[in-house]
Amino acid sequence: MLSWYTLALVDYVVVGVFVLAAMVGLHWLLRRLGVKREAATGYALILPWVLGLVIWNLGPFLASLYFSFTDYNILQPPEFIGFDNYVRMFTDDNQFWNVLRFTLLYSVINVPLGLLGALLTATLLNQDVRGLGAWRTLYYLPAVLPAAATALLWRWMFTENGLINSIFGPVLSLFGVGRPAWFTDLDLVLPSYIIMGLWGVFGANTIILLAGLKGIPRDLYDAATVDGAGRFRKYLDVTIPMLSPTVFYVLILGVIGSLQSFTVAFFIETPRRAGTFMNVYIYQEAFDRNRMGYASALGWVMLLIILLFTLLVFRSSAAWVHYEGEKTNG
Amino acid sequence: MTTLDQPQPLVTGTASRDRTDDRRRTAGDTVIRVMIYALLSLGGAVVLIPFFWMLSTSFKATSDLFNYPPQWIPQPALPGNYVEAWTALPFNRFLINTVFMTVLAMFAEIFTAALVAYGFARFRFPWRNGLFIVLLSTMMLPGILTLIPKFLIWRELDRINTFSPMTVGAWFAWGPSFIFLLRQFFLTIPREIEEAAIIDGASVFQVFREIMLPLVKPALLAIAVLSFQANWNNFEGPLIYLSTLEKYPMVLGLQFYGATLSNAAPQWNYMMAMATVMAAPILLLFFLAQRYFIEGLTVGGVKG
Repeated sequence: MLSWYTLALVDYVVVGVFVLAAMVGLHWLLRRLGVKREAATGYALILPWVLGLVIWNLGPFLASLYFSFTDYNILQPPEFIGFDNYVRMFTDDNQFWNVLRFTLLYSVINVPLGLLGALLTATLLNQDVRGLGAWRTLYYLPAVLPAAATALLWRWMFTENGLINSIFGPVLSLFGVGRPAWFTDLDLVLPSYIIMGLWGVFGANTIILLAGLKGIPRDLYDAATVDGAGRFRKYLDVTIPMLSPTVFYVLILGVIGSLQSFTVAFFIETPRRAGTFMNVYIYQEAFDRNRMGYASALGWVMLLIILLFTLLVFRSSAAWVHYEGEKTNG
Repeated sequence: MTTLDQPQPLVTGTASRDRTDDRRRTAGDTVIRVMIYALLSLGGAVVLIPFFWMLSTSFKATSDLFNYPPQWIPQPALPGNYVEAWTALPFNRFLINTVFMTVLAMFAEIFTAALVAYGFARFRFPWRNGLFIVLLSTMMLPGILTLIPKFLIWRELDRINTFSPMTVGAWFAWGPSFIFLLRQFFLTIPREIEEAAIIDGASVFQVFREIMLPLVKPALLAIAVLSFQANWNNFEGPLIYLSTLEKYPMVLGLQFYGATLSNAAPQWNYMMAMATVMAAPILLLFFLAQRYFIEGLTVGGVKG
């Protein structure tokens, strides 16, 4: 029984000692080679990350590129098949399109809505409200709840006779609409996920945006007042531009995070035809169906999509993100 | 601190106009303030009701789960649900496994992130900025892409169904966002402090441990909370690497729970009880460290 823990501890200590020894060794080696003390220390200090980059990022990154051109079921060695995986994905895999549509729609709806809600809430919280600390803690709570717990909780609230339908059922019946089946209704899976996602993320965004709002120098507002700007004008001409770098940060993190939703899907049963998140599909292809090659190809498409979205946000940011003074650190 | 809602002193105008204007604005302000608090309370209710429902459900008898209208306060309240749910699966074992993996990963992750961040913040060396950009861009790399090769590496090392894949990798400063956050904090510390110590003959490691680390304590605490949260909830790793029940962390127990029992009638009360148990330490930690936590969390967005 105990031996699992002992084995893990031995691995842990051995690797830890190895990393620290490598740092000391590198420092010594660089000094011997005549590198200045400051640079040698710097390289030694960042060595753990550099090692990690090579072993756990760069290597696997290239390996997955290679696998994406192979047929590989883990038991037999990978067999090179050129672009077949990519061709199959786009021409002969209906579930791929389902999943792609699902993932993109989720992000495209969830991120802007979450941002707007957070912007509104942060603006309200910035009006000298009493008990700001308590409000902040309150709104941040959903971000602290484990994804697994969030998923189970919303699955439970969204059951046919669950809390949501008990509260909103009477309202819906006024319009002659029956009780929605949410996560088990083919058409409502996506909206259900979006509602859950909004609940989970908007509080955290609110806190970050609020910090951005607090950081806007007061004299900018005073200057605008002297110029005769009204409340709305000030919001448009001072608040929005000054807040735009923070909005940008929230937007980038939101896009990257929402495109990679994973855990929640394992705690909620939904109809297969409704589609699921891309990362879940990749996991299923790789570990349930042992198609490592095909899963790698899907992973590369995912990477390209994330890069595309990020690039889009970055490119557009030139037009709407305002950097005060363009100060750089370090 | 904006002044959008406070009456602004008028630059021109007679005393009487001043007063009427002030009164009108104040009345309007009161309405607006009431609306602000109403909206904030509404948002607060949306946030809190699910939490309350989770807690309430966890104490309910199975026969009361679907009462209509919804039963907010469980009658009768059954704390025994927690005991039954905990013992229906080996949750003692799950808890030990979770704590074991979380503690090891947290320590190595925070320790190496601090070293690397210090290196990037304080020492000049060729390619430093280029390497830092590489570090930032790895945040964009989807984890799923490197998952398969990583799995193959651990398989070659004969470490499938062990805890090592969830803990050992932490020695390689695997959280780029933690490095970024700590570097931002290190940059705010004046160089003179270290230089004085170095003149007094302190080594780099002494300066780091005795001067720099205490100064970035808020950031370290924020990262500790985030790291605890990430490792405590880590689902993807155990899902892929662990295959025997005795090695599962709580989150896999929770999933196993939901999935197996839902073949019959889902035991929502038990599920909510275990979800509450899993969330409790994180919520507690968050309340204890929230001041530092929010400061640490927001620095990336504002100073970045």
